[in-house]
Amino acid sequence: MTAAVAVRDLHKRFGALEVLRGVSLEAAEGEVISIIGASGSGKSTLLRCIPLLEVPDSGEIEIGGEAIRLRHRNGHAETADRGQVNRIRSTLGFVFQSFNLWAHMTVLQNVIEAPVHVQKRPRADAVAEAEAILEKVGLADKRDSYPAHLSGGQQQRTAIARALAMRPRALLFDEPTSALDPELVGEVLRVIRGLAEEGRTMLIVTHEMAFAAEVSNHAIFLDAGRIGEQGPPGQIFAEPVTERCRAFVMRHLNR
Amino acid sequence: MASYLRLIGFGPTGWGDQLLLAALMTLSVSAAAYGTGLVFGTLGAWGKLSGSVAAHRAAEFYTTVVRGIPELLVIYLFYFGGSQGLTALARLLGQSGFWGLNAFMVGTLAVGIVAGAYQTEVLRGAYLAVPAGEIEAARAVGMGRLLMLRRILFPRVLRFALPGMGNVWQQVLKESALISVTGLAEILREIHIGAGSTDRPFDFYITGFMLYLLLTTFSGFVFRGAEGWSLKGERQVAGMRA
Amino acid sequence: MHPLFLADTMVKLLAGVPLTLELTFISVGLGACLAVLLAVLRASVAVGAWLVRFYVFALRGTPLLLQIFLIYYGLGQFAFVRAGVLWPFLRQPFWCAILALTLNTAAYGSEIIRGGLQSVPPGAIEAARVSGMSGALLYRRIILPLAIRQALPAYGNELIAMVKATSLASIVTLMEISGIAYAIISETYRALEVFICAGALYLLINFLLSRAVAALEAWLTPHLRRAGA
Repeated sequence: MTAAVAVRDLHKRFGALEVLRGVSLEAAEGEVISIIGASGSGKSTLLRCIPLLEVPDSGEIEIGGEAIRLRHRNGHAETADRGQVNRIRSTLGFVFQSFNLWAHMTVLQNVIEAPVHVQKRPRADAVAEAEAILEKVGLADKRDSYPAHLSGGQQQRTAIARALAMRPRALLFDEPTSALDPELVGEVLRVIRGLAEEGRTMLIVTHEMAFAAEVSNHAIFLDAGRIGEQGPPGQIFAEPVTERCRAFVMRHLNR
Repeated sequence: MASYLRLIGFGPTGWGDQLLLAALMTLSVSAAAYGTGLVFGTLGAWGKLSGSVAAHRAAEFYTTVVRGIPELLVIYLFYFGGSQGLTALARLLGQSGFWGLNAFMVGTLAVGIVAGAYQTEVLRGAYLAVPAGEIEAARAVGMGRLLMLRRILFPRVLRFALPGMGNVWQQVLKESALISVTGLAEILREIHIGAGSTDRPFDFYITGFMLYLLLTTFSGFVFRGAEGWSLKGERQVAGMRA
Repeated sequence: MHPLFLADTMVKLLAGVPLTLELTFISVGLGACLAVLLAVLRASVAVGAWLVRFYVFALRGTPLLLQIFLIYYGLGQFAFVRAGVLWPFLRQPFWCAILALTLNTAAYGSEIIRGGLQSVPPGAIEAARVSGMSGALLYRRIILPLAIRQALPAYGNELIAMVKATSLASIVTLMEISGIAYAIISETYRALEVFICAGALYLLINFLLSRAVAALEAWLTPHLRRAGA
C-alpha cells in the first residue's frame, strides 16, 4: 500500500552545517508519528522538507505515491515544477510553532482562504465546512474575531482549523505547543488528540513527551541529523534501546 | 554629442560659465536658507520644549501652517509683499524710506521659514531622544549650564538630528529651484533661459537634471560621512546603521 | 485687511479647487499603481531592482519643477514625439503636469510601499506558501494587503505633499488655486491678504484629507484596534 508520506535518505545542509544526514521515514494512512530530539537535531528541518519549505540537497520525497521533482543546479537543489509543489502543498496541512495566522483576516477568513483561492472551491461550501471545523476546535463563537484579539491557544486552534479546511491527506505539526503559555497547551493538545482518534495521518514534532507517548503509533528519535532510534511509543518513551535516546528521554520526561 | 558639449561647454557659444555661476548661486542661496531654517528651527523646537503653553502653541501654529501650505505661495508672499512688509516694519521702527528685498533675500527668507518648520520637528525629536541620564550625569559632575550644553547636549542632539537635517538640506536644495520665479540666477532659471533660447530645450533640462543630481548626491555623501562620525562609540547592531 | 477683498478673493480662489483636486487625485492614483509595480519589480528581478533604484534616485534627487519643465518644454525638441500618437496630450500643460506629478509621486510611493513590503511578517508568507499559494495569488491575497496597511500613514503624508506639489502646475499656466492666487497678487499687489486666503484654503483641504486618510486607516485595520472596539 502506498504510504501517505514517504521520505528517503534526505540530506540537508545550511552552509557548513549538515543538519540532515540521510533520514528516511514512511507514514502509512492513519498513522500518527511523533518526532522527538534535541534542539538542532534536525527535526523541524525534516518536517519542513515534506511540503518543500526547505529543499533537501539530496533524497526523495513522495506524497501519496507521487514523487516530488527536484532539480540540482550549481551545487544547490531546487524544485523543478512549481505547479506540482503548490498542488502537493494544498493536500498537506501544516501547523507552525508560531501559528502564522494572517493578521488582516478574521478567523473565518483565515480558514476559508486556501480552500477558496487555492483549491478553487465555491465560497458557500467552504464557509459551511469552515464553520463545522471551527465548531470542532471550539472556536465557533470567534469566527469574526481577528487573530490579534485571540489568546495563543485560540490562535493555534485557528491555525489547526485552517490546516483541516484544506482536507489534507496528512497533517504536519511543527512544535505546535512550544510557543504557548503552559495553561494554554492543554486546549491545543486536546484538539490534536481528537484528530488522532479520528484516524488522521499525522506527523508531530514535539517536546511534549507524555502527549506523544499517548497519541502516536510510532515514534522517531532524531539525533544530530540521523535517526537515533525509532519504534513504538512503549519502547521509545519507556524502554529506549540506545543510550542517547535513553539519556534524552530521561532528561525530558522528568519535567 | 559633440554639439551638446559645445552647448554646455566653456567655449564662446557655450553656456558652461553661466551654468557654473548658477550652480554656485544655488549653493549659496540654499546655504543661506538652510542657515535661516536652523535659526527658526531652533526657536521652534525651544518653543515646543520649553513648557510654556503660549510658546508651544505658537510653535505648533508655525509648524502646522507652514507645512500645510505650498512653498510657492510663501515665495510669492515675500516676493510681492516682502518689500512692503519690510518698509512698514522699518517705519514702525522710525526709519523712513523704501526698504527692498532683493531676489536672494526673498529666496533665503521664504525657503528658510519653510525649512525651519521641518527643522523644528527634527531638532525636537533629536532632543527628546537624548537619554535624560546623560544630562543628569553632566550636572552631577558639576558642569555649568553652558559647558554642559556645549560638551554634552549639543553633540548628542546632533547625533540624533543629523539624518533629519540631511533630509532638510536635500529639500532646501530642491526648493531653491522654486526661487527661479523671482528671477534669481540659480540653476533652474539659467537652464530655462538657455532652453528657451535654443532649439535644444531637452538637452538643457537634462543638464539641469545632472547638475542637481550631482549636488544632491554629493550632499548625501557629506551627510552620511557626518553621520558616521557622529555614531562613534556606539555599538552597531548587526546589519543596521543605528 | 479688507473683509470685502478677502471674501472676494476667497470666491475667486475656490474656482481653482476642482483643478487642484483633479491634479492631486489623478496623479496620486496613477502614481500609486505605478509605485506598486515599481516596488514589486524591485523585489523580484535583479535588473529591475537596479532600474527602479536609479529611477527613484533621479526623481527624488531633482526638483519637481525641473521635471515638469523637462516634460512640458523639453519633449517638444524631438521630432518623433511631435509626430507621435501621444503628442495631442503632451502639448497640453494639464497632461504634462499630470505626467510629471505621477512619475514623481510614484518614486516616493515606491519607497513607502517597499517599506511596507519589508514589514510583512515572514511567517504569514510561509503559511501562505505552505497552503499552496505562490506568485500573483500570494501577492494579491497576503503580501500586498498587509504591506499597504502598513504603508498607509506614510502614504497619507505623501498625499498631503502632492496637494502642495500641484501648486507648481500654475507655473505652466494651469489655473488651479496657486495660479489664480498669482493672477490676483500681480494685479492688486495685496500679497499678504491673498496669501492668507490661499493658505487657509490649502490648510482646509489638507485637514480634510488627513481626516479622510485616518478614517480609511481605521476602516482597513480593525485587526489593530483594541479587542471589543
